[in-house]
Amino acid sequence: MTIIYHYLRKELLIISSFLVALSFLTGCEKQPNLGQFGLTNVSDNGSANIVVVDSSTVLLSTVYVDSVASAATGYMQVGTYNDAYMGQITSESYLQVRPPVNLPALDPVRDFYDSIGMAILFRKANPYYGDTTLPQTYEVHQVVDTLYQLPVYALGWYSNQYLPIGPSLGSATVTIAPNLPYTSQNAGDTVKIRMDDALGQQLYDMAYNKSDTLTDITSFLNWFKGLCITPGAGEPGGTMYGFFDSCLMRVYYRENINGAAVTKTIDFTLYTRPSQWNYITNNRTGSPIANLVTPTNVTQPPPVTPSPATGHASYVDNVLGLSTKLTFPYLNAISQRPDYIGLLRAQLTIIPLAGSFSTTWTLPPQVGIYATDLHNQPGAPIYAPGSGTPQTGNLIPNYLAPLQSTYTYDVTNFVANQITNTAQGSNQVGLLLSIPNPANLSQWRRLAIADQSFPTEQRIILSVYYISLYPHQ
Amino acid sequence: MKQSILLALLTIVSVRMMAQNNDVPYSQLGLGDLDDGYYNRTSGLANTGIAYRSNRFLINNNPASFSGLTDQYFTMEIALRGQYLNYAGTQVNVGSTESADLTFRKLVLGIKLTRHWGSSIGLLPYSTQNYEFNAPYYINGTTVQVANNYYQGHGSVNRAYWANSYEFFHHLSIGVDASYIFGQLNQNNIIQSSSTGATLVSTTNNVNLQNLYFTYGMQLYGAIGKNWNYSIGGTYSAKAALLAASTKLVLNNDSVALQNIQNQEGYMYLPEAWGAGISLGYKQKYTLVADYRYQNWNGVAGVNTYPGQGYAIVSSERGSVGFEISNKKAFANYRVELSYIQAGAYYENSYLQINGQQIKDYGLTAGFGVNSIKSPLSYNLIFQYGIRGTTQNDLIRENYADLTFVINFGQIWYTKGKKFD
Repeated sequence: MTIIYHYLRKELLIISSFLVALSFLTGCEKQPNLGQFGLTNVSDNGSANIVVVDSSTVLLSTVYVDSVASAATGYMQVGTYNDAYMGQITSESYLQVRPPVNLPALDPVRDFYDSIGMAILFRKANPYYGDTTLPQTYEVHQVVDTLYQLPVYALGWYSNQYLPIGPSLGSATVTIAPNLPYTSQNAGDTVKIRMDDALGQQLYDMAYNKSDTLTDITSFLNWFKGLCITPGAGEPGGTMYGFFDSCLMRVYYRENINGAAVTKTIDFTLYTRPSQWNYITNNRTGSPIANLVTPTNVTQPPPVTPSPATGHASYVDNVLGLSTKLTFPYLNAISQRPDYIGLLRAQLTIIPLAGSFSTTWTLPPQVGIYATDLHNQPGAPIYAPGSGTPQTGNLIPNYLAPLQSTYTYDVTNFVANQITNTAQGSNQVGLLLSIPNPANLSQWRRLAIADQSFPTEQRIILSVYYISLYPHQ
Repeated sequence: MKQSILLALLTIVSVRMMAQNNDVPYSQLGLGDLDDGYYNRTSGLANTGIAYRSNRFLINNNPASFSGLTDQYFTMEIALRGQYLNYAGTQVNVGSTESADLTFRKLVLGIKLTRHWGSSIGLLPYSTQNYEFNAPYYINGTTVQVANNYYQGHGSVNRAYWANSYEFFHHLSIGVDASYIFGQLNQNNIIQSSSTGATLVSTTNNVNLQNLYFTYGMQLYGAIGKNWNYSIGGTYSAKAALLAASTKLVLNNDSVALQNIQNQEGYMYLPEAWGAGISLGYKQKYTLVADYRYQNWNGVAGVNTYPGQGYAIVSSERGSVGFEISNKKAFANYRVELSYIQAGAYYENSYLQINGQQIKDYGLTAGFGVNSIKSPLSYNLIFQYGIRGTTQNDLIRENYADLTFVINFGQIWYTKGKKFD
């Protein structure tokens, strides 16, 4: 028995060595690539599939708010332009200035008043819109009302608020090349407006006399209530420029020093940023948005105008109070399909209205997307699954192939909730397209969106990718 | 120390055996790749053994054979198979056409309980499924957006059997094989993003199969004159219902279950089958065997439903022949077999008909066996080369080479100290 066991162990060692060698020989091989063999044989094995529905109804409407908070945006929006879709837009800028803290010691023998003017600045990244090849006239007016000092306005000014202004104190007509920047006054990025010398002389004299009106800011604002920079009266329309709010009203005087006249200035600077706002008017007559529904009561939700009433398009131009609401009245029908078992993904593709944009009438680079309901107010941003970053459309403008310029949004989270929402009022739950802050208060670029009366390749599309499993086994 | 080394080597082998299985594209159809091998003494004879009888080895080809074991003899066999596959066809990527694996194939035990009664139990493969491939396709509802369909399947159906045979009149043996068929076939269909490869949705279909399957066997044998001996065998299996319980699980891209369906249990049917064989021996040294097997899948086509489409399950048949030379040596009054060599050939029309083409399988086998004199072990090494399928009609041809290793352990039991009569 002992002999048998001895030989058995030897044999097992030989066998094991053989097996190890065999296993390594076979294990070194890789699995083959058998292409698509069998596709036709197993593709109908009852597995789940992905189905995309891009014909779901999307209703567009333009939401209109009568004003936006246009104070303290950092920009003095001045100009007027004619937009084929928005009509004529005009903006005037109201502001208050303050005298210098330390007035110069003026000498009646050596110092002489010279002139007064406004200096407003346009930098390269500042907003503008319209045809920049056209000259634009700017006028400076003095505010003649005291509303500035009313406490209510300390809360902020809105774009539909204005004050009475006096006659023009001066004007200048310039052409601005905004991307250099350069003005036709050969003053770099500065636009200079010569003002009425009577006002300048008066301010110079007050400075010479160290008037309490200049040394006490409250007294000064009670007397000099503010300025308003407007486009020229009867301006045919060219460009809207957003100048920096850090402007100057400058009194020039000459001082004789050793027989030479040296130019010196007394600068009146912006008093406070919140006291500067832009008064914006929009003459929609004859434009596609002429029939825009406007509010009749200040407490009502912003009214919506369905796209058929506005040229089968909806619009996003927040400075003008316009944003687009999207509703999906038949989204439930997808979930009621017999093969629907779950949502995979949903993507919203927005194609700007063909012909509505160009290198002049540029598109807003970022358009945000928000939840909304029957109150038509922007709610929480719509995030893509797994992301905490608000979506802005990822636009890559293609001016040569306009239909390839699209805003796209992952609206999976929204659709996942809405596709099974059958509660009352659910058809008013939707999405709101709006330009995100701060561009919403300073940028004039607008977006026109074709509704679903347009051909498929030109209109807004909601693509719902759902997981399909037919009930058969 | 030596025992530890041996244990470690066997562990390595076992782990590697579990790591990989060959991709068998035809296994995605029907019940998978039906295993027509027995991994025994007849493997070198192209698995030709319906009429074969052995006093030492377990011949599963026919349950009637177990009565041929030596009295009071206990035997056990295990088998391992290494397989190399080479694929050809228009669907095959020319840069990747090979695959290989090493798999455990069987474990069987047998004993001669009484002078005429032989019995065996064991575990054998019935069918296996292992495939994977990728297929890009247009998402339904669009003609521009593409996703990738990754199809993958694996699983096996096994056969645990208990077979008994009884010898009558020294020339007739009748046996019954009661098998419990069980196993699971798993099919996954994963739809992936064509750009990132991320899973978008996956469907897993699991089919659990189980039931009893009976095979009846008969062998008639005797001598012709002084030098010749013969054996005639037959097997028959009746149609049997196979209880099938399937589940379907659909997961979305966040691995959240969207559907988890427990389908009502149904039945699939294993077909009626029969086989016939003959064995002719000369001077206990030369043996010629031939078999024919038939499975009537057409008879159950109307009641079976299989996943997939575009193919048909049809009746299969297999013919094989083999020739063996046994090297025996006389010890005292006994002739003890020291070694043997075998050769065989086979041709099969399988149960798959795809694109109007019935898949054929044919090849050659060669076997060599050594029976240890000083230990109760016997070793059998079988080489098999075969061709399955065709490259016509967009099908795949598999050229395969198998190397099967069978170890047999045998010992006389209940001898009260005596090793041999």
